[in-house]
Amino acid sequence: MKHRRAVLILPLLALTFGLLIWPTVVLALRSFQSTGDILQASSAAGFSFRNYASIVVDPYYRGALLHSILLSLFVACGSILLCLCPAWLFVRKEFPSKRFLRALFTLPMSFSGIIVGFIVVIMLGRIGFVPLVLERMTGRPWLSGLAYRFCGLVVAYIYFEIPRATLTLESSLRKFNFQLEAAARSLGANRWQRLMYVVLPLILPALLSAFAVTFSVSLGSFGVALIVSKRFSILPVELYDQLIGFLNTGLAAAMGVVLMLIAFVVNYSMRNLGRSEEERLG
Amino acid sequence: MAKKRLSFDFVFIYAVTMLLIVAILSPVVIILLGSCLNTSFLGLSSEQWVSGTQGIFTLKWYAYVFKLYGESMAFSLKIALLSVIICLVAGVPGAYVLSRKPFPGSRILEELVLLPLSLPGIAMSVALIAAYSRIRGQWWFLLGGHLLYTLPFMVRTVTNTLRSFDVGRLEAAAQTLGAGFWQRFRLVVLPNLRHAMIIGSLLVLAISWGEFNVSFLLNTPLHQTFPAALYGTYTSNSFQVSSAATAIFLLMIIPILIAVQWIGGNELVSVEQGA
Repeated sequence: MKHRRAVLILPLLALTFGLLIWPTVVLALRSFQSTGDILQASSAAGFSFRNYASIVVDPYYRGALLHSILLSLFVACGSILLCLCPAWLFVRKEFPSKRFLRALFTLPMSFSGIIVGFIVVIMLGRIGFVPLVLERMTGRPWLSGLAYRFCGLVVAYIYFEIPRATLTLESSLRKFNFQLEAAARSLGANRWQRLMYVVLPLILPALLSAFAVTFSVSLGSFGVALIVSKRFSILPVELYDQLIGFLNTGLAAAMGVVLMLIAFVVNYSMRNLGRSEEERLG
Repeated sequence: MAKKRLSFDFVFIYAVTMLLIVAILSPVVIILLGSCLNTSFLGLSSEQWVSGTQGIFTLKWYAYVFKLYGESMAFSLKIALLSVIICLVAGVPGAYVLSRKPFPGSRILEELVLLPLSLPGIAMSVALIAAYSRIRGQWWFLLGGHLLYTLPFMVRTVTNTLRSFDVGRLEAAAQTLGAGFWQRFRLVVLPNLRHAMIIGSLLVLAISWGEFNVSFLLNTPLHQTFPAALYGTYTSNSFQVSSAATAIFLLMIIPILIAVQWIGGNELVSVEQGA
């Protein structure tokens, strides 16, 4: 019995170790080497925290880090607020074209970041579609060049978070007992009270898990920013520059570790929060 | 009174949903139109159009893109199909053990398999490069990055299915009829997983075809994936060529996503995360 199980699990185990655990260990070790080329696998450089220090101390890298965190925060909150509506609709309503509509909402998920970058340029660039239409209508090219600003980046990221937020929220909202809201209404709670004391606490775990998902995906994505962010930088783009432009593997590895740690901490704490919230509610 | 308020909520929810639908669809429509219409027809002119082609509709750009990026399309397709095969071979038996025959540490292994979904793609690609710098030039090195981000989809689809019904009872029935372990796995477990395997494969195909975050750094100049080639197009080619290239990308992905929803039916396909 035991050896059959081992045979079946072995390929998965091997892949997990080879592709996830071992590279992560090497990345962590490499991040403490202050100099060293990626092509020299065993370059003996000293152990130091210099890479991490420079991310925090150097105002440019610190700015990139803060931009990354802020961006992910805005994107996570924005996409959750917007996507609650379609998720609620998918859970509560039956309509004939539902499958097609759901397929539509999953569409941006498989867009790579660069495609979203292209989309945001043609929609909100200097001569993008939206500014052109607005110019026809109002005489002024409103929103022109938005794509190249921080706002534009937030909009673009929300675009590809739509499927993730919608599907995560939908699967959690399915567990929501909508009769409780009706019960609160029959007990005389007004709309605000129902929202604050009944609906919100109940869907909080759903919101938290959607937040964790959208936050960590935004944190690591750099395709959009590679195309549009010219005036400011985010950490993944900086990492790319360090690795490809300056061949500074140590610093790139340190940035990778920082991104991973943030994503991990957010995911872990959101899940624990959600779990304790679920337990509290029984 | 209460009814009126309720209808306001409905209007709001429908309005936001419509807004999102328009936001998702309009760029796709513009790209599709831009890839095959003469833009001077829209009142925009571009140099390519001054010389030559008359008429409103043309497929010239598609031919150009195929000539230019045919190789990277084929390469992307090859990687995607290999990812599907390896995910089936490693993921399905693995998922079976994880959900039906747990062992000490199997929960941790499952968490680890799903972990890449919440790890930044670019960080993982640096990790892969740092760990395997010696084989970086090989084309199949890219496959590692793709597997890292596609395997979770296969494993989760299969474990969800296995946990949603009692396959153990079916197996026990087969066992009393004298079926051995491998017979049971082949004749009882796998047929019941057909549905999940099809959905998982389609998801893997779609994710791998569109993967950029990991593969951009793992690309070698000789072997570029299609999304990486798209980056080159966007930075150096005209709107029409970029649109045609993007349209080809979309025409591949849209049927897959519709098929996933169609086959998945009302069961929610768990595609919560991914890069």
